[in-house]
Amino acid sequence: MLELVDSTKSFKKVKAVKKLNMFIEKGEIVGLLGPNGAGKSTAISMLSSLMEPTSGDVRYCNKSILKNPAPLRKILGMVPQEIALYEDLTAIENLQFFGRLYRMKGKELQRKIDVILELIGLTDHRKDIVKKFSGGMKRRLNIGVALLHDPEVIIMDEPTVGIDPQSRNYILETVKRLNEERQMTVLYTSHYMEEVEFLCDRIYIMDKGNLIASGTKQEIKQILSAENTISIKADRWNDAFIASIESSPTIHRIKVEEKEITIVVPKEVNMFSELAKMAEQAGLELRSIDINSPTLEDVFLHLTGRALRD
Amino acid sequence: MNGILVAKFTTFIRKPWMFLLFTTMSIIFALILGTSGGMTSISVPVYGSSNIQESFIGKSLEKNDVYTFNWMTEKEMLDLIADGKSEVGVIVKEDDFQLVVGVESTNAQMVEQTIHDIYAKKLQQEKLFEEVEAQTDSEKQLLDEEYKTAMDSPVFTMKTSNFSSSEAFVYDNETHFLFGFTLFFVIYTIAYNVLPILLEKKEGIWDRMILSPVRKTEMYIANLVYSFFEGYLQVLIIFLVFHFWIGVDFQGRFLEAVLLLIPYVFAVVSLSIFITACVKNAQQFNAVLPIVAVSMAMIGGAYWPIEIVESEVLLALSKINPLTYGMEALNGMVVYGYPLEEVLLPISILVLMGVVLMGLGIHLMERRHV
Repeated sequence: MLELVDSTKSFKKVKAVKKLNMFIEKGEIVGLLGPNGAGKSTAISMLSSLMEPTSGDVRYCNKSILKNPAPLRKILGMVPQEIALYEDLTAIENLQFFGRLYRMKGKELQRKIDVILELIGLTDHRKDIVKKFSGGMKRRLNIGVALLHDPEVIIMDEPTVGIDPQSRNYILETVKRLNEERQMTVLYTSHYMEEVEFLCDRIYIMDKGNLIASGTKQEIKQILSAENTISIKADRWNDAFIASIESSPTIHRIKVEEKEITIVVPKEVNMFSELAKMAEQAGLELRSIDINSPTLEDVFLHLTGRALRD
Repeated sequence: MNGILVAKFTTFIRKPWMFLLFTTMSIIFALILGTSGGMTSISVPVYGSSNIQESFIGKSLEKNDVYTFNWMTEKEMLDLIADGKSEVGVIVKEDDFQLVVGVESTNAQMVEQTIHDIYAKKLQQEKLFEEVEAQTDSEKQLLDEEYKTAMDSPVFTMKTSNFSSSEAFVYDNETHFLFGFTLFFVIYTIAYNVLPILLEKKEGIWDRMILSPVRKTEMYIANLVYSFFEGYLQVLIIFLVFHFWIGVDFQGRFLEAVLLLIPYVFAVVSLSIFITACVKNAQQFNAVLPIVAVSMAMIGGAYWPIEIVESEVLLALSKINPLTYGMEALNGMVVYGYPLEEVLLPISILVLMGVVLMGLGIHLMERRHV
């Protein structure tokens, strides 16, 4: 339905996206994952016809949209990362403004606005000035504006950044419902792995402008099928323990946090007794050792050597 | 396009503070500086007996608009001229006068001409009254009344005008500061109305509009029409306040002066687009705008008459400054009383600047994907 073909985008000497290939089929929720600066926003700008690739193509229904983006724009809703609203207007005035841009007016516009306000849970705040909204309410209205003209495809660029868990859940549930009830196609970018795991059928992972993995959740987790992730918890760490872990030849990757160390090891290796021994030698009291099935976060750590939110 | 305009006007009604601030500042500055004296007339030291000071000659000198004749002793007058503090001094007597010239200048000649005219008028009056005295009392009274009537409403008037003659209106403090501060502060009002284009681009509102069926030209036109409207409304309010409330004399050409502001406001809208296209963010814009606006006011003659600027560099820079042409057109029409054809040149330059800067600004904005 919508695809990027060998698309590269360069800004002066910096290549923000390098020969990216990705596609979205009708009715799918596709996740685009990557840390800050991975090239996600550039990729979706190209995909939404806001930015022309330096080389490569963007296609909608097998036709290039580089010369004529109108057919795509007609069915596309965009939720930018920023709050793209007039803060001095009320919720209803914002919706009226963006509705008029889509040539909607009169009762049709009013009816659509009522539906959208209900959907995003802002009916009671319709006449409130956006400036006085909480972060979560602004985010919801930001999404509502993109849904006003009944788009078939919606591109959401990190729509849950900086909001409370309650609003975040509301947004995720809304996106899921839009997909299930209206068969809306969704491209969802985030650096919250759990959001993507919850929502998406297929996932693309980007880092430093490159696509480093793609597939269904299961396919991506298969990347780590030969490995286990072990989570070690303690109240504090000491240098001797960390040094002995780092020097262990069987450990593939290591991530040290304040009270947790995550290591990736081959599945056949039994690290339990070895870790207990290391802790004893270092004079460290461990609270727990958990052996986990790989998560997308683990895959990301495996592929890039760093955490998603680094 | 209508949707964008509705949103802009709604925002304006809800948040008119910046507009009101710049309008008020413009009025206050023009009022304070315009009514504080300044370069209203040239001071000329004059010596004469106390009888002369009370006579027709003395009173006529005091009434003069262009020169301020300051009475003093002969020694004081000569000292001022010897010290170079005055170009010319005058010793007035009952039937003639003596000019003491320190520096040969146009002013010396004009002072001589002014005093000569006063003496000629005195002679004319004396001659008439001599004739009146030859008649009976009733005829004398009748002639006296007729003389006064004739003086109040002459059959025809002759207006002589040359550079700083007694009838010419070369520099008016009040109108100068009114024009200067109006044209200066409106730069801020307009620029801060164009800035939202940059902010909306950064915040993604512009992207949303691009993805909608609205054409880009409509987006630009709506923003520019609104900026023009607000800028023009400001200058209109200021001129209306000064004309109808403060009572500033636009020499009967108020409507023409107000219309003359259209090309200036258009040029400033275009300049603002150009500045917005050149900066990367609002912080840069906030840093650049005062530098540009104050420089424009300084070299464009908003703070002081451009005629007193002698630097060739500054004069050359003033030629690419819309404010220079705005002041030139307004002064030409209101202060010098030129007909419309005489101010067509500055108007044309303002329109040309507007078109060029608008083209460059929009092109830069699109190319840089600001």
